[in-house]
Amino acid sequence: MELLFGLFAGLASGSVFALLGAGLVIAYRGSGVINFAHGSVAAYAAFTWDELRDMPGPTGIGNEGGSIYLPWFDPIPEWGFLKALHINNLPVEIHIMTDPPAWLAMIITLMMSAFIGLLMHFLVFRPLRNSPMLAKVVGSVGIMLYLQAVALLNFGNSNRADDGFWVFNSTSEPITNFIGMDKNLPRSTPYLAVAALIIGFGAWALYRYTRFGLATRAADENEKGATLLGYSPQFLAGLNWVISSVLAGLAGVIFLHKTMPNQLNLYVVSALAAALVGSLTSIPGAIAGGLGLGAFASMGVSATSYEWWPDWLPVDGVRAFAPVLVVILVLYFRGHKLPIRGTVGLGRQPRAPATKHPVVGVGVGVVIALVMSNIFISKWESTLTMTLVAILAMLSLVVLLGFLGQISLVQWTLAGISSFVLIRLASDGVKVRPMDFFVVTGPGWPDPLAALGGVVAAVLLGLLIGIPALRIRGVQLAVVTLASIVAIEDLLMRNRPVMGTAAHTMNPTPKPEWFGQYVGALDENSNQTDYWKFTLFAIIVTALAGLFVVNLRRGVTGRRFLAIRSNERAAAAAGVNVARTKMLGFGVSSFLAGLAGVLIAYKMPMVTSEFFSPFVGLAMIAFVYLGGITTVWGAVLGGMLVGGGLLSEFGSLHFEGITQAYINAVGGIGLIVNAILTSGEGISLLVTNQAKALVASMRGTDTQENHADEIVSTEKESV
Amino acid sequence: MSNLLETKDLTVTFGGLNANDHVDIEVTQGSFVGLIGPNGAGKTTFIDAITGFVPTSAGSAIFNGHDLSELKPHERAQLGLVRTFQSLELFEDLSVRDNLLVAAHPTSWYTLLLDVLRMRQSNDEIEKRIEWALEVAGLTGLEEELPTDLPHGQRKLVGVARALAAQPNLVLLDEPAAGLDTAESNALGGHLRGLLDHDVTVFLIDHDMGLVLSVCDYIYVMDFGKIIAAGTPEEVRTNPEVVAAYLGEEAGEAQARSAEELRGMSDTAGE
Repeated sequence: MELLFGLFAGLASGSVFALLGAGLVIAYRGSGVINFAHGSVAAYAAFTWDELRDMPGPTGIGNEGGSIYLPWFDPIPEWGFLKALHINNLPVEIHIMTDPPAWLAMIITLMMSAFIGLLMHFLVFRPLRNSPMLAKVVGSVGIMLYLQAVALLNFGNSNRADDGFWVFNSTSEPITNFIGMDKNLPRSTPYLAVAALIIGFGAWALYRYTRFGLATRAADENEKGATLLGYSPQFLAGLNWVISSVLAGLAGVIFLHKTMPNQLNLYVVSALAAALVGSLTSIPGAIAGGLGLGAFASMGVSATSYEWWPDWLPVDGVRAFAPVLVVILVLYFRGHKLPIRGTVGLGRQPRAPATKHPVVGVGVGVVIALVMSNIFISKWESTLTMTLVAILAMLSLVVLLGFLGQISLVQWTLAGISSFVLIRLASDGVKVRPMDFFVVTGPGWPDPLAALGGVVAAVLLGLLIGIPALRIRGVQLAVVTLASIVAIEDLLMRNRPVMGTAAHTMNPTPKPEWFGQYVGALDENSNQTDYWKFTLFAIIVTALAGLFVVNLRRGVTGRRFLAIRSNERAAAAAGVNVARTKMLGFGVSSFLAGLAGVLIAYKMPMVTSEFFSPFVGLAMIAFVYLGGITTVWGAVLGGMLVGGGLLSEFGSLHFEGITQAYINAVGGIGLIVNAILTSGEGISLLVTNQAKALVASMRGTDTQENHADEIVSTEKESV
Repeated sequence: MSNLLETKDLTVTFGGLNANDHVDIEVTQGSFVGLIGPNGAGKTTFIDAITGFVPTSAGSAIFNGHDLSELKPHERAQLGLVRTFQSLELFEDLSVRDNLLVAAHPTSWYTLLLDVLRMRQSNDEIEKRIEWALEVAGLTGLEEELPTDLPHGQRKLVGVARALAAQPNLVLLDEPAAGLDTAESNALGGHLRGLLDHDVTVFLIDHDMGLVLSVCDYIYVMDFGKIIAAGTPEEVRTNPEVVAAYLGEEAGEAQARSAEELRGMSDTAGE
């Protein structure tokens, strides 16, 4: 009975999964892109609606309302004299009218969604249409990061609740004693389900019976053929982006009374599961998949109330795990049967040159780091160690994404697992500081051992997530790993029976001592987290990790990684054990992520799951791409650029308005620009190439020839 | 001479179609065997099947005493059964030399450790093998080029060189001469003959009839997935069924003229 009621209750969230899933299908059929930013489009629309309707949330945030915010931000921060001049560099806010009626707000909101859809098409996916799959995935992840950050910049705090409108509200009396089950069902639930079915049917009919739908389906089957018949595939793609985005906006608005706008960002995970049920091509399949997934997850949640349900499976974990389960099952059973298959050559992969003179480079880096550390200048300590942590995390991405070409979005979460397991293993139920309110129970392992435990946990989990990569690849792997992030967070990190109170309270790591040396960042005398021995420890670990990755790239293993990235079929024919080599890559990358987790556990006065949120992880990916995903220097540069890193902190110290959200928004843009312009090679290779060209031109040799080469290679690419 | 490769009733089915239909082929150690047939006859499928890239539905394949049926593609390659691809399939971001090194280096569980500690993993034998492979393929001097910067014919030869770098007992060449002009094709044929002196047995598929007829000791002819004839080049050249399969005419009628033509082709190649 509980389960049956759970099924009906789940139709509410199922309807939004269904509509978002249908939108994903439409975008995919129109342009061949799986849009990771789809939930963020819904979130931006929901914010827009809420702002127009002026419904301040429980925190009372919100101005007089009736304004819309265009999906960008004023790029020039308010510094110095510019601030005094009150120059508005770029119009962002437009006031429509105070207290607009619901129908007008709805039209404006959907127009905003359509506008975002057009922008995505013209600024991102159209330029990327002939790029490798990796670049398209990165582009949509960049949009996701950008939209989420811009929403934060434009709409402020996301803690806003909306009572909804019309039948989609949270204020109506619930349906009491729902079909004799003695339980109350929110009145909006059946309306949501019906809305999903009607809109889904409408979309299906549009693609089934109109000339536009026919043309889209033709272009989906065979783009060249459709062109010959006189349809412009790019025009069709643009139109499909608009329809997809409008559906996302609609879904966000009608579901807003049940959630907060920011939550919608990650609804893309469940929406992807729904779209996969429809094989990414069937709208009815996606609608059914979404409703089914909502019901399935809700039944799982209901099941947790039974007595026989094990304690170690928390409610949130079950809800987050349902889409992962669906994604993995669908990809496993419907994915390509044979594990080894040639990839279609869509543009070239970013080059991955071996680093020259790494010992010198790392030496210089270490000296600079030492100079900046507390030993000499005290001000930068925390920023410096944050940079080192980010570099370490990004090295793990360089190995897995850059060298091996496996698009895994989950590595930052693995660092989190390492941190949490370390704290749990090192704890012994005694307060670390007198001021701590909670205690964490645990076996109280001494520290190198506890740290090892954390790293091993990260590696094991990384290998587990790598298993699907033996069968699926590219964008599908990105889907699986994105779903895994949410599942790991809710299933493991916030799991009280598994993680102990470490899952909820905020304690520093007890006794971070390695062989008698205290290496934690917490200075017991001053209660500041800038103890120099930790800085030294972090510098040593990061430098060794950097050399490790350089040598991996220069050795037999690195060559085999690149071979697999390039062509798995050929690698197998050349005697490379593709499965084992991939697992090695996942293992090495997770090991590095685990090390980053250890540093975080020692650095932070408290470790929370928020620190490992999916968006921090996506920002890490964005900035290492910007720095250069295929080189160690890319990781170093990315670590300095990312929010909290040296360069970004320098920026926020000197220019007002450079916040984390600002940096993420810039990172999102940088990610997209990088994917379009340099085929993802990033700043480090761009600088190296420019430097080489400069040297060559100063010597006055070969420049002409180089230039000719470049022209030839561009021509090749455009062919 | 023992059989290096032996297939019995090897059958590959795609849907309802038998792409390979009870194929019996024997390749003796130290020989140079060819497989010819019209487009779509199932020649590449045969290579795919014995190297593990498509599943077989019936029959067996024994290589050097090993039953291949349970082995994965890389395991077959490690046994010395190495192939090239008709469709290039190179590591496009790696230099020619690195393409070869991927195939040449053995790996073990501690390879990563050796890499990280910068221990030397090449030895003279590997270096020599790579030089030799480059020379056979006529790529000496192009080691540092990227495959994408080479003309199509040479790219194909990078595939051949990579197969040779993997230390093969038997190398299966899928149209290595496609894209080469007649002179290059002849030079390649000469180099390939030279492989026999290095204990490499060769199995060659090619459309260049002149090449196949002039270098092979023994030739199989496939049509519609079946072996329709086998024999020395002389026997195959005059076999009426082969002529019919190739020219699609009544075997009896045009036999004499076609045989003459084929002979002419091989003579030109031999000049």
